[in-house]
Amino acid sequence: MSIDKTTYMISDKGSLGRNAMIVGALFLVISAAGWFMDSPQFFSSYLVAYIFWLTFALGGLFFTLVNHLFGSQWNIVMRRFTEATMYSFPLLAVLFIPILFGMHDLYHWTHEDVVANDAILTAKAGYLNVTFFTIRAAVYFTIWFFISRTLYNLSLKQDKNPDDKIILRMKQISAPGMILYALTSTFAAFDWLMSLEPHWFSTIYGLYVFAGSFLAVLCFVILFGLNLRKKGYLTDIFTVEHYHDLAKLVFSFIVFWGYMSFSQYFLIWYANIPEETIWYLVRWENGWYVISLIIIFGHFVFPFLGLLLRAAKRSFAWLKFLAIWILVMHYIDMFWLIKPALSHGNGPHFNWMDFTTLIGIGGLFIWNFWNNFTSNPILPIGERRLEASSKFKV
Amino acid sequence: MSSKNIETDASLDYQVPLIRGNPTFASITESVSKVTEAKTTKEWFVLFGFFSSLTMIMIGSIGYLIWEGTGIWGLNNPVGWGWAIVNFVFWVGIGHAGTLISAVLFLFHQKWRTSINRFAEAMTIFAVICALVFPGIHVGRIWAVYYFFPIPNQMDMWPNFRSPLLWDFFAVGTYFTVSFMFWYTGLIPDLATLRDRATNKIRKLILGVAALGWRGGNKQWKHYELAYLLLAGLSTPLVLSVHSVVSTDFATSVIPGWHTTIFPPYFVAGAIFSGFAMVMTLAIIARKIYNLEHIITITHLENMNKVILLTGMMVGYSYSMEFFIAWYSGNPYESFAFVNRAFGQYAWAYWIMVSCNVIVPQIFWFRKLRRSIPVMFVASIFVNIGMWFERFVIIVTTLAKDFLPSAWDYFSPTIWDVSLMIGVFGLFFTLFLLFIKHLPMVAMAELKGVLPQADPHFGHDGHEGESK
Amino acid sequence: MMDNKNVLAVLAEFKTPADLIHAAEKVNKEGYKKYDCHSPFPIHGMDDAMGEKRSPLGYMVGIVAFLSAAGMWFFQYWTSAVDYPLVLSGKPLFSYQAFGVAAWAIMVLSSAATALIGMLVLNGLPRFHHPLFYSDNFTKKVNDDGFFVSIEAHDPKFNPDETKSFLESIGGTNVELVVPDDEG
Repeated sequence: MSIDKTTYMISDKGSLGRNAMIVGALFLVISAAGWFMDSPQFFSSYLVAYIFWLTFALGGLFFTLVNHLFGSQWNIVMRRFTEATMYSFPLLAVLFIPILFGMHDLYHWTHEDVVANDAILTAKAGYLNVTFFTIRAAVYFTIWFFISRTLYNLSLKQDKNPDDKIILRMKQISAPGMILYALTSTFAAFDWLMSLEPHWFSTIYGLYVFAGSFLAVLCFVILFGLNLRKKGYLTDIFTVEHYHDLAKLVFSFIVFWGYMSFSQYFLIWYANIPEETIWYLVRWENGWYVISLIIIFGHFVFPFLGLLLRAAKRSFAWLKFLAIWILVMHYIDMFWLIKPALSHGNGPHFNWMDFTTLIGIGGLFIWNFWNNFTSNPILPIGERRLEASSKFKV
Repeated sequence: MSSKNIETDASLDYQVPLIRGNPTFASITESVSKVTEAKTTKEWFVLFGFFSSLTMIMIGSIGYLIWEGTGIWGLNNPVGWGWAIVNFVFWVGIGHAGTLISAVLFLFHQKWRTSINRFAEAMTIFAVICALVFPGIHVGRIWAVYYFFPIPNQMDMWPNFRSPLLWDFFAVGTYFTVSFMFWYTGLIPDLATLRDRATNKIRKLILGVAALGWRGGNKQWKHYELAYLLLAGLSTPLVLSVHSVVSTDFATSVIPGWHTTIFPPYFVAGAIFSGFAMVMTLAIIARKIYNLEHIITITHLENMNKVILLTGMMVGYSYSMEFFIAWYSGNPYESFAFVNRAFGQYAWAYWIMVSCNVIVPQIFWFRKLRRSIPVMFVASIFVNIGMWFERFVIIVTTLAKDFLPSAWDYFSPTIWDVSLMIGVFGLFFTLFLLFIKHLPMVAMAELKGVLPQADPHFGHDGHEGESK
Repeated sequence: MMDNKNVLAVLAEFKTPADLIHAAEKVNKEGYKKYDCHSPFPIHGMDDAMGEKRSPLGYMVGIVAFLSAAGMWFFQYWTSAVDYPLVLSGKPLFSYQAFGVAAWAIMVLSSAATALIGMLVLNGLPRFHHPLFYSDNFTKKVNDDGFFVSIEAHDPKFNPDETKSFLESIGGTNVELVVPDDEG
């Protein structure tokens, strides 16, 4: 691989994209075999893997939106990373189709006989029904796709035509985009995750999932940036100062995530209403407490302490390790959100399909990301604040 | 041309100066210090007389309350928490903007904060003092307030550390103390400036003691800067936790309308929202009266309006989540609580709240309105009204119609509720007037530090920043 | 002039933050220890120029934070579960979740107090009387718009005349020997 110094295009894409696609497709085919062998297991594994990768795209969209909105500069050097991440909704929409087929296995409220004999589910039937669920999913994907495509196109247009009007336009789109994002990502979390346990409800749930998705994209940017750095790209443009600021963001969102999860847990624990505490009970009994404790210490305590010191935020090796660590924890967090609802009193176990679906969807996601990333300059070269951004100091 | 638009938009262009009119270090000292040194104006005395009379009303209301008990308020059987709690939450919330501006924006290197942070921090402290009036007196038996403290007493009992009301005591007490220390730390170098300028003996003595002998040496600045950073780092999670703890007063209960998991972040967003509106109201008046328009510029105000818009949207998000989940829960009590809020006997209060908090801030989408002083002044007052009503709606509408219809009742305030609320506003403005008169209302040392000529790499081509 | 025995320090004024930094580098290189650079606001890069170590305040606050949080947690456990056990609202005697709130508040409170008091102690403040306050030029400008280097008399390398001429040689203006006022 090499890079053209004037256009900042990676001229030789290498085999990463192709390999990722092949591996992804292969693992998805293997997983498809699981569909026929044990469809409930397949769908629960598939949903965990799907949501895990979806959060990268949603986090990338948020990262792009928020920085346009506030006109921040420091992130401009990594804008193409998050843009390439968020521009994956067409692929993710296609990958959503199996979930529509698996609704009967995943979502209890699709069983008409159950709903008919359950006053609470009957009361919700106006919202939780297959038709409306499908329509909503289509709406979410359409909105996400259009926001991300508009922003990505504007950014690419800027490469050829560095005009301040474009900066303003991106800002103007981001403001309503942010509102749409907040609503759609919240309702998507309600639909796809919270409704796995259709009797349970929590107003903070959307923010909880959002916190995790933003962490996911931050760690992704750190990992991918360090990978490029190792190959000698952008070493004096995407500097330790940017990593330091990213690490600060990771730190604050670790705290934000902890704040969201503690608020939810604490209020439910304190009020002690059985219909709410059940959610935590199934995540504690039958061995699930191990996963719960891993999340408390691994998703909060350890990264919190690990990023407290300034030196830790500026060490590449340590950041790389922590980014991988947090992504693993993020996967476990998604696992913990989804699986206990579907395990019917069984303890946690990791099935081979959990692994194959994770790699399968991930392979296609990386392929799509790498394609986006290498088809365009890896820096927004038409951005007049790029120079200032590369000189950013914490 | 749109490029002209961009040029004046601070968030787009990093070259827009934070302060207008090319100030020098000396001119900042002069324009800020002279407010505290000049002869007190007649207007100040008139205002001070007015607000301190209101404070007298507060003292009278408290005296009568202690004499008679909480029966003088409009509390009735289901509505056991009334305006005292509404006002408490309102004032604690107001305080949040100060800490946010001074600590959070500091951590995020938002240099525009330096013009308004002192001002906002002072507001925090006075707002928390106002808030602390209420838990001090609403317990009814004020002479038993010491039960809050974990001190050995004649009953051998300890406070109940599992009670949200006790957490309030710890959280708000800590908040007040830490905000005060943070504020004082920031004041030390500025007090030294005033000390060095003081001409009469008494002033010199008082300021000399308060400035602690500050000499501005780098060996002092070194520790000072780290202390300031640490205080900012501690205040940031503190400010988030304080209103979260206040929200647990309601959210740990089992009452529909109170018990909902989004309460902690929702309260924090609302607090920042209302606090910024209050800073706005005060800043607009103060910059006008004391000719500080070149230091607290229209760009600062515009930035604050953006924060108001953003937090207003967050509050709107929380309202809609509450409503949606109340329906989604399928629980008739949950749904009733919210339908009752919007369409029941207190619908007027609910719609005041929604109009002021969600609809009014929408005007700040427009740049013209964001930069119009009269518009933002009126809007900031609307937001304050709306946020007061938010607490009223949460507390009173929820209690007035609880689980048992036979117990339902309507809450109406008495004259003593009103007099206490007005009196506390008087206390707030009295303290604020004293602050403006006697202390530097802009953080001079910090402001000098963000001037272009303060950068050691500045100006090898001349020293236009230097006066002498 | 005056008797050199009375000299408490030498002061020199500089024009800009940049000049002060250059002066600091030279004073540091010359081997002075008891000197300081005074400015109305902290100057970025001055610690490096003066060869100053980072402040230890962070560690002090960290230790206090840990001890106070753990202490408060334990105190709540002791009062609620050991000294006077009382079941309230059906919660366990040792409700560690609920005890987090007061422990957190006390942790922040004591850490903040440590930051402020620690800063003052490390700075030797409050100290209402200091030789430099004898200089009218210093007190007039240092908290307004003046930039000064001071070298104190108890520095081992200190010699009133040499130090004075050294400060003049590196560009200091208004160089003065600080002596007690007549009245003091």
